[in-house]
Amino acid sequence: MKALGRFAKDINRNKALLLMVLPATLWFIFFAYLPMIGTVISFKEYRVSQDGFLASIIHSKWVGFDNFKFLFSTEDAFVITRNTLLYNAVFIVVGLVLAVGLAIVLSEIANKRLAKWYQTGMFLPYFLSWVIVGYFVYSFLSFDRGMVNKIAAAFGADPVQWYSDPKYWPLIIIVVFLWKSIGYNSVVYLAAIMGIDKSLYEAAMIDGANKWQQIRNITLPMLMPLMTILTLLAIGRIFYADFGLFYQVPRDSGTLYSVTNVIDTYVYRGLKTTGEIGMSTAAGLYQSFVGFVLVITSNYVVRRFNKDNALF
Amino acid sequence: MSNNRKKMTLTLASVLAASLALSACGSSNGNASGGSASPSASGGGSPAKGESVELNWYTIGTPQKDVDKVMQEVSKYTKDKIGVTVKMTMIDWGDYNQKMQVLTASGTPMDIMFTASWAFDYVQNARKGAFKPIDDLLKKEGAGIVSTLDPAFLEGSKVDGHNYGIPAYKELPSQEVWRFNKQILDADKLDISNIRSLESLEPLLKAVKEKNPDVMPFQVDKNYGPYVPYDYLIEKFPLAVKLDDNSYKVVNVLETPEMKQALQTMHKYYTAGYIPTEAATTESSSDAMVTGKWFVDKATTQPFADNLWSTSAGYPIVSTPLSDALIYNWSVMGSMQAISANSKHPEKAMEFLNLLNTDPVLRNMVDSGIEGTHYKKIDDTHMENLPESKNYDMPTFSLGNVMLTYLNPGDPENKWDEFKKYNAAGKPAVLLGFNFDMSKVSNEIAAINNAKEAYWAPLMTGTVDPDKYLPKAIDKLKAAGLDKVMAEAQAQLDAWKAANNK
Repeated sequence: MKALGRFAKDINRNKALLLMVLPATLWFIFFAYLPMIGTVISFKEYRVSQDGFLASIIHSKWVGFDNFKFLFSTEDAFVITRNTLLYNAVFIVVGLVLAVGLAIVLSEIANKRLAKWYQTGMFLPYFLSWVIVGYFVYSFLSFDRGMVNKIAAAFGADPVQWYSDPKYWPLIIIVVFLWKSIGYNSVVYLAAIMGIDKSLYEAAMIDGANKWQQIRNITLPMLMPLMTILTLLAIGRIFYADFGLFYQVPRDSGTLYSVTNVIDTYVYRGLKTTGEIGMSTAAGLYQSFVGFVLVITSNYVVRRFNKDNALF
Repeated sequence: MSNNRKKMTLTLASVLAASLALSACGSSNGNASGGSASPSASGGGSPAKGESVELNWYTIGTPQKDVDKVMQEVSKYTKDKIGVTVKMTMIDWGDYNQKMQVLTASGTPMDIMFTASWAFDYVQNARKGAFKPIDDLLKKEGAGIVSTLDPAFLEGSKVDGHNYGIPAYKELPSQEVWRFNKQILDADKLDISNIRSLESLEPLLKAVKEKNPDVMPFQVDKNYGPYVPYDYLIEKFPLAVKLDDNSYKVVNVLETPEMKQALQTMHKYYTAGYIPTEAATTESSSDAMVTGKWFVDKATTQPFADNLWSTSAGYPIVSTPLSDALIYNWSVMGSMQAISANSKHPEKAMEFLNLLNTDPVLRNMVDSGIEGTHYKKIDDTHMENLPESKNYDMPTFSLGNVMLTYLNPGDPENKWDEFKKYNAAGKPAVLLGFNFDMSKVSNEIAAINNAKEAYWAPLMTGTVDPDKYLPKAIDKLKAAGLDKVMAEAQAQLDAWKAANNK
């Protein structure tokens, strides 16, 4: 009784704050928690029933883990897992270094107008869809009309069939991904840098610290919590590959699958003829489950080192 | 587009799951209360006089601006005739398959929907329970369809002995042709009268390559597959039965001598520079069609197809057959309208489909829009599009019986008679009527599709050397479980053969 009263009092006292988180809470309930009920589909052979969606779920046959088998049944399982994990690991590490580096560079540019110009320029690709980016890349790499081959021909080199030679693609994928995403991430870090108390730098300057020392001893430590949180969140999505990047940019070229097939493209290619909802749900559940385990583990590791930087 | 695909494979199903679960609850409540409010007004589902039921019609094609306007006119007409009004929802070509899968899986209220062998797969979705079986409806409300439509259509579109959709009355057999750009044919004084096989093209390709360096001799894109005398169990899936094989043996088409020879020829053409370098990753040949810088390609024909192609390309195109005209499962099921399993008014939906396939007024209104606004008639059988038709440009073949539609200017008077003759001359292909049920082997199919996609387009377009890559592809397919699928297919085919006394 007493606890209940305290709870009501708590609510009353924080009503303004609670009201503010209400929209996000509702969003999560409707779009994140309620759909979790749908994960039971991954253990069923989904068949449509006349009486609507819930009836369909209830009447569909239980099949245990059958829907997950296609993810592990062939040697492709190794290729797609390796590609997904390695690419994402590279994206996380290189993306972090570049984004923080660029944010620091941008914050140090004295000409603020010019800094804004660079920032916008880097930000722009983030808004392009992968289909458009795919055509940009194609205009460079097309065999007979691409810019790269044209330039190579001007220097007397032989043209390269970019879309059928896997050895170039790990690099191309990474460069294209970074080009598209780096602007957005660096703006996040730039905002954090702007929020650092200027008096810290003034004090450092008085003590005779040079630029490099200021960056190493003030900027980077101040950015550390943000870097940890964003990295932890990225690790949670390490099993999700960017479909557009791995499907549109290599133009779905079969000869490149050894280096471009990832979990998401594998699922798409495998299920587009059968359209088994149970199997695609199974793939989604598998990805989220691995992501969940990884986030919990890495958060635990972070907490061992520094409690304040951990997510929870 | 990428977004849609991603959503389809992973999240959309589960995200929509929740929202539609909610809306499903909502709608069933709505029905319950609606039913109790007026218990006697509408007995047995048929509306009383003056009332009408609204049919939700989902069909394929780029959404048109004037759809609602035209459907209002259509509704006026159908309300008087059979007491229904129509609401049409168009879903664009590329999205149709995925959106319809989600819409049906989630139980969205629908009455009529487009389905085909190539979009929102008819056979699979019939088996998944998306459509209502219409055998009984066809006897009563659909009697007009049965008497109009060539019986081969309804017979050929049966799934496990039942009809689930009404095929559009159009060309029935499918025949592959070589299409030639007549300008180049004339300029180089080439003769196509002896052309038939892939190999017979060679001297022409060579001549074109020498005389017209800026022209692509053989226009090929990633959808290309050489013609081999086999009937595929699933489209673009390596299992097939040879056309004249009375023992119905399922084979891996990549292991057949015909396919091997065709791929070797393709590779020879590719290395000779007759085929575009990036054929294996080119989505479509539409660019080449626009520029006219091509000499030959492969297409599927119908009566007067040369006229059609020449009109749309803006320069003369001629063709010559490379295969016989045969009736395949996929040519019968090329365009169908089905009644949704969750339709509240299946009888009314069938009445509407019956009218659509038998009544020229309704059929042409749905096809060309409002007379005087979107088109005008020039004589009894011909019509001409007006400028407004750009707001209502519908894919004719997807909306039922095409034999009822008005002719375009320049179409011969006997066009539909020729279609009927062409249909009558078609012979059934070996697998006509057999539909492979892949639900038992869906895990293997998923794995095989991945293995197949890695090799299919590069091999078919001649981009890679079949001597090297064909064995690799066969090994990969075997590793992914092709043998198991083949055994399952053979078992189903044998059972079908026994049941049908083949």
